Amino acid sequence: MKTLNKKNLMGIVVILVGILIFLSINGCFVSEKVAAKSGAQLWAENCQRCHNMPSPATFSPDQWETVGMHMQTRALLTKDERGKNR
Amino acid sequence: MKSIFKKIAIGLGALLLITQANALFAQQAPTPQDTLNDRITALEQQVFQQKRGEDHFMVAGLLTFGLVTNKTKTTIGGVSTTSRTSTFGNADTYEFSPMLLWRHGDKFLMEFEPSFNNDGLGVNWADVSYFAAPGLIIRGGYLVIPFGIYNKRLAAGWIDKLATDPIGLDIPAGTDYGFEVEGGLPLGDMKWSYDLAVTNGMQLLPDGELQGIGITDNNINKTFSGRLAILPLSNSALELGVSALTGKVGDSGAPNADIKTNMYAVDLNYIQAIKPFSVNIKAQYNVVNVDRQNYINPNDSTQTYGYNNHSTSGFAQISLRPAFLDNGLKNFELAYRYANYTSPAMSAWGAKTDQSTIGLAYWINWRTVLKVSREIVNTNGTVNTAIFPDAGISRSNSWFIQFSIQL
Repeated sequence: MKTLNKKNLMGIVVILVGILIFLSINGCFVSEKVAAKSGAQLWAENCQRCHNMPSPATFSPDQWETVGMHMQTRALLTKDERGKNR
Repeated sequence: MKSIFKKIAIGLGALLLITQANALFAQQAPTPQDTLNDRITALEQQVFQQKRGEDHFMVAGLLTFGLVTNKTKTTIGGVSTTSRTSTFGNADTYEFSPMLLWRHGDKFLMEFEPSFNNDGLGVNWADVSYFAAPGLIIRGGYLVIPFGIYNKRLAAGWIDKLATDPIGLDIPAGTDYGFEVEGGLPLGDMKWSYDLAVTNGMQLLPDGELQGIGITDNNINKTFSGRLAILPLSNSALELGVSALTGKVGDSGAPNADIKTNMYAVDLNYIQAIKPFSVNIKAQYNVVNVDRQNYINPNDSTQTYGYNNHSTSGFAQISLRPAFLDNGLKNFELAYRYANYTSPAMSAWGAKTDQSTIGLAYWINWRTVLKVSREIVNTNGTVNTAIFPDAGISRSNSWFIQFSIQL
């Protein structure tokens, strides 16, 4: 019974990971309302979740690209949010 | 014959004169086409010299510095003692941590954050991330484990609105060696995110406490941790997260080899404009369970003792900032946080601890802050007094003045 439970647990984990990878690669749908948001709006909404908003002039374009990738890993931004915030 | 040579020489001389005259004329009066060509050539050279490369390196990070004064009154067996300290720099008020970021194109990002604080030199994290797909980042190295919201996002001095960290959130250890997959994805008007990691995990100490095992694992079992979060509002103002962690903590071959820990956490982050204020609420609650076992009595190795190795910790914080005012008041932010940590009763470190912190922050700019905080910590010891010294009751009262800046 213990072995069976472990197998079931492993199966659930594998299925969950599979769903996550499938969703990750294919992406989920985004509503028109969200898709229509400007980069400035997304930038304001996401930065403020944790800290104050930086000025666009704070970083150079190269720096913004690097900062965007770093923030995507921290705040788990979507790719569109990172792209529009450049 | 001589006159022929003379005529040829005169002809060549005339030709040379005409050529030079033309060249001189051309230099003095370039055609519009020549000017345009020269300008294009110059611009091409300028663009080539300033072209953005695929790779980029930058330094970010943070510096935090400050003063803390403390008065602590401890009562054990009806006898009270009082101690006072005043010091520049402690774990909460001094840290210099430059963060080095290397980007290779738009697929790879390397992050390394060494840190100097009162413990000396250390490393906060050192990892490499591969941006595999729009919602899939794969990371390896020494990474911040996905458990709760505080350690990964809110702990930096220039982000935290108060001078200290909430008590009890250092379990589990914030960073570990391993691999991680994570991503943020849209879901209609909403968003959701996942963050899963497999790491070396923690080790069970002889008194039942846990510590990060570091780069060399103490068993062949790996620890799994993860956080799922949803942002149900279209403006991302609310984030709700659940986390879990499971893994064996006993040493391979030891009697406690099969002892494991299971941990859970829930977290919340909400920001709302109630003009003229911006209101921010943050909270996290952790539960830590370790399988029951008997521990060796440090006073008599032939005896053992046991207890329910269960602890909880959590915090709730609210902050108000008149961000919509047009005067200097908009740079001030008032914050209050309540935190609680209950460690296992009848253990060597059993205690119930309440931490109340209130503070006023002045934002010099978006990433530079001066904070004044006051914190009161009440601790009631719940140790097994038949084995361990009575920790009694203590009341700690501290003031913090802290400056923090993002590099």
